Formats: sequence, C-alpha cells, structure tokens
Amino acid sequence: MRWRVWFDRLIVLVILLAAWQGGSLWLGNYWLSSPWAVATRFVASLFNGELAFHGGYTINEALAGCVIGGVPAVLLPFLLRRQPIVVAILDPFMVGGYGAPKLAFAPLFILWFGIGIESKIALVAAVVFFIVYFSTLSGVRALEPKLVQMAQMIGANERQVGRHIVFPGAVPAIFAGFRIAVPYAIGGAVIAELISSNRGLGYLVQTGAMNFDTTQVFVAILAATIIVHAFIAVIDVGERFLLRWRPRGAALIVDHGT
Amino acid sequence: MTAPLMLDIKNLGKRFPARAGREPPPWIIQDMSFSVGAGELLTIVGPSGAGKSTLLNIIAQIETASAGEIVFDGERITGADQRALHPGLNRRIGYVTQDDNLLPWRTTIDNVLFPLEVQGTLDAAARVRAQELIDAVGLSGFERYYPHELSGGMRKRAALIRTLVYDPPMILMDEPFAAVDAQTRTQLQEDLLRLWSLKRKTIIFVTHDITEAIALGDRALVLTRRPAHIAADHPIPIPRPRNVKDIFTMPGFASIYERIRADVQ
Repeated sequence: MRWRVWFDRLIVLVILLAAWQGGSLWLGNYWLSSPWAVATRFVASLFNGELAFHGGYTINEALAGCVIGGVPAVLLPFLLRRQPIVVAILDPFMVGGYGAPKLAFAPLFILWFGIGIESKIALVAAVVFFIVYFSTLSGVRALEPKLVQMAQMIGANERQVGRHIVFPGAVPAIFAGFRIAVPYAIGGAVIAELISSNRGLGYLVQTGAMNFDTTQVFVAILAATIIVHAFIAVIDVGERFLLRWRPRGAALIVDHGT
Repeated sequence: MTAPLMLDIKNLGKRFPARAGREPPPWIIQDMSFSVGAGELLTIVGPSGAGKSTLLNIIAQIETASAGEIVFDGERITGADQRALHPGLNRRIGYVTQDDNLLPWRTTIDNVLFPLEVQGTLDAAARVRAQELIDAVGLSGFERYYPHELSGGMRKRAALIRTLVYDPPMILMDEPFAAVDAQTRTQLQEDLLRLWSLKRKTIIFVTHDITEAIALGDRALVLTRRPAHIAADHPIPIPRPRNVKDIFTMPGFASIYERIRADVQ
C-alpha cells in the first residue's frame, strides 16, 4: 500500500512537471522558466551557498517568529482557563487580530522595527500568534468534564487538573495550530523580505523579478516550499512521539490535515 | 446491624433548581433514607432513569442535595451549595463510574498510579501495592499499554484498581460493569468480590441487573421510579465466598430474585 502511494505521487509529480515544461515551451523561457532550468539553478545555488545563506535567514525569521508568537499563544488560553469573562472580553479583539490581513502590516513593521530581521520576526509572530491562540483555545475548551470530575474525586487541585487533564488534552489542538501556522510563518517571512530586505528568500524573489529572471524566482519559491515541508516533517515527528497514546486512526486524520 | 454505621442517609431529596418563569421541576429523589454499615457491600437495584447516578453523585459530593441529611462516618456532609462541596470528601470516598474515565495519554500503570501522584503519596511501597493490584486483576504484561490498546474489560479493571490503590474507606460504583459482555462481567464481579474479601471496604454498588445485585451484595435496596425512594430492603442470605458464575443455582437465589423483581416492577 505504501509503495503504491509513493508511486502514484511520482506520477502526479511527473504530470505537474510535464505541464510546467509544456507551458514554458509554449510561453517561452523569458516568461516562464522551465523545470530543468530551475532544477539546475537550484542545485547550483545549493552548492555555492547562496540558498543556505538566504534560506537560513528566512528560516531564522520563521523560527524566531514561531517562538515569539507561538509561546504566548499557547500559554494564554491556559492562563485564562478560569477567567471566562476575560476570554469573552478579549474575544472580539482576538477575532479582529485573527481576521485582519497581517501581511498588510508588513510596511508598518518595517517602519517600526527597521529593515533588519526584527520587522520580519514581528510579522511572523503576529501571524502565528492568532492561529495558534485559537487552536489552543479550542483544545482547552474541548475539555472532557468527566475526566476533570474523576481527578477532583481523587483529590486533584486546580493546578493539578490543569497540568494532568487540561494540558495533555489540548496538546493535539496545539499541534494542529502549529501545523496550520507553519506555511503562514514562512509565507509571512518571505513577503516581509519582498517588501524590504537585502537577504532571504523574499529578497531572491524580488531581485529575480526585477531582473526578469523567472528561474531565480522559482528557485526561491521551491526553497520556501521545501522549508515548509521540512518544518511540518519536524512537527510530525514531535506529534508522533507526544501523541503516541492516540489510536492510530485518529492520528491519520490529522496527518492529512495539511 | 452490628457493624458501626459508615453512611447514614435521612430523608434525602433532590430536585434541580427551577428556571425563571417555570414551574419547579419534579423531585428526582424524595424522602430517601437508608444506612450502610462499615465493611458492608450494599447493592442498589432500580430501573434506568430512577436517579441512581444522581444519588451516588450526591454522596460523592459532586452534586448538591435539596433536602435531608447525609452523615458519613459520624460527620454531617450534606451540601446544598455547589461551591462548598468537596468532591470525594478528601479522598475518603472513591467513585468508579460507568465510563472508565482512564486518561488516554497515560499507560495502565500510570493511570493506576495517578491518584497517588496527585495525592503526593507515590513512593516505592505504593508502587509495589499498585503492581500487586495489577497482578490481582490479571493486567500484568499490560502495564505499558495505553487505554485504547486495552479491551473493555481490562479498562474496567484498570479503573477499579485506580480507585482501590489509594484506599478510600468507601467506594461508590455506578453500574461499572454494564458495558461489557456477560462472560467478562462475571469475571469482573469475581475480581471485585475477591479484592473486597481481602480488604473489607464499604461499597455501594448500583446496578439495574438483579442477578448482579444478588451475586455481589450483603443487602440489596430496591429503588422505585421517579421520584426515587427505597421500595424494599432485602438482606441476601447466600453465604460467602460465592461462586458468581453459578449464583443462580445457590439455595435461596430464586426466592430472593423473585421478591426483588416484584419490587422493581
């Protein structure tokens, strides 16, 4: 079954590449770079260190933003668990923060934090925070009251209920939040670099487009996509370890969630 | 009754509070009185929806009472205010519910040790005691399994010994074996009786199965439909140790079964 999935994936990949190659031939290399040109340039950039330099910069932004935005987003719903009124007061503002187009804040962040790495981290953090906050909140709210009652019967205090019942119960939702947030984190970092930067994958996209070098644009996009895949693979490993208590079927549904 | 009283319930009543602008809802439990001696295994039989779970929840200090009095070990514990309740009465009342309520992220052994961990009494001796209980109910070899990897009967056993491990003087059991097949149920009943014979806890065991009530109990109370109150109080004259599998062949079974069935209807 497993080799069959991989084989079919290969077929899909070949079809996609063929369509791309066809489009490139039809429109001309100038408008749409060919997969072969992108692949050779990708390998060349990989070996001359250009991708490591720019990709590493983007990864640093995304990681720092995920930590700065993600950690408070995970902690807040737990801290506010016994304060439903505070959660209710905050709710419209949180929904607003979630709904506002954060990428539109990029120019502001650059104005406030400069054109260095800080403005990109700020944007990624803002994007990640709201996604992870709402996901964690739903996990905290999906609490099984019978388990809490059981814990209280055996003498658990409020802190122990939080630690032994609420937190483990919310871990799947926290993972789900980060899985959704990762592509947005990389995307946010790239967009912020696009607007103003002299490093990063977004910078590669920007200079490539300015020089009508679509190959470079595609190389940068490909690199960003691979980074997202790698991030999600790391999350998968962590999830498989931390959520090994879950029945197999339930884990599979989440596996296909992204 | 020669044994000292463990639990004394007098004129207990329960109704849920009226919603604004509506008539008060009917009584679920009304004028219920009974007592349980220390070390007694009392079974309570009643039809579904008779308020059996509500009764146990009130004793367990999870739900408030609307009327009457509960005295536990000489101490008046009736609570009318939800916030003043102490669920489990400082670990003196254990509760084995219909659902096993095992923590899905903990293995069998960690579920069994959970109360000790929470209560801060987890030491080497406690681990030995937990392992003895695991062995006693045939869960050895499954210590590192997660609940979803266990059968229904195994989960019930784990839930049962999770309550026994911290040694509460009284244990409430709410149809704990209702959801398993007949054969497993018989085994679980035998396990329970064996464990109980080692350490005579006071147990209130609620069931809708008359045979189960007879097989396990020193005494069987029969509850009526709503509002629930005690319709009859039958001592079970079958000597112990009992063979649960063949309980219906024991002398006296048929007559007590008939009498309880008549009371239930």
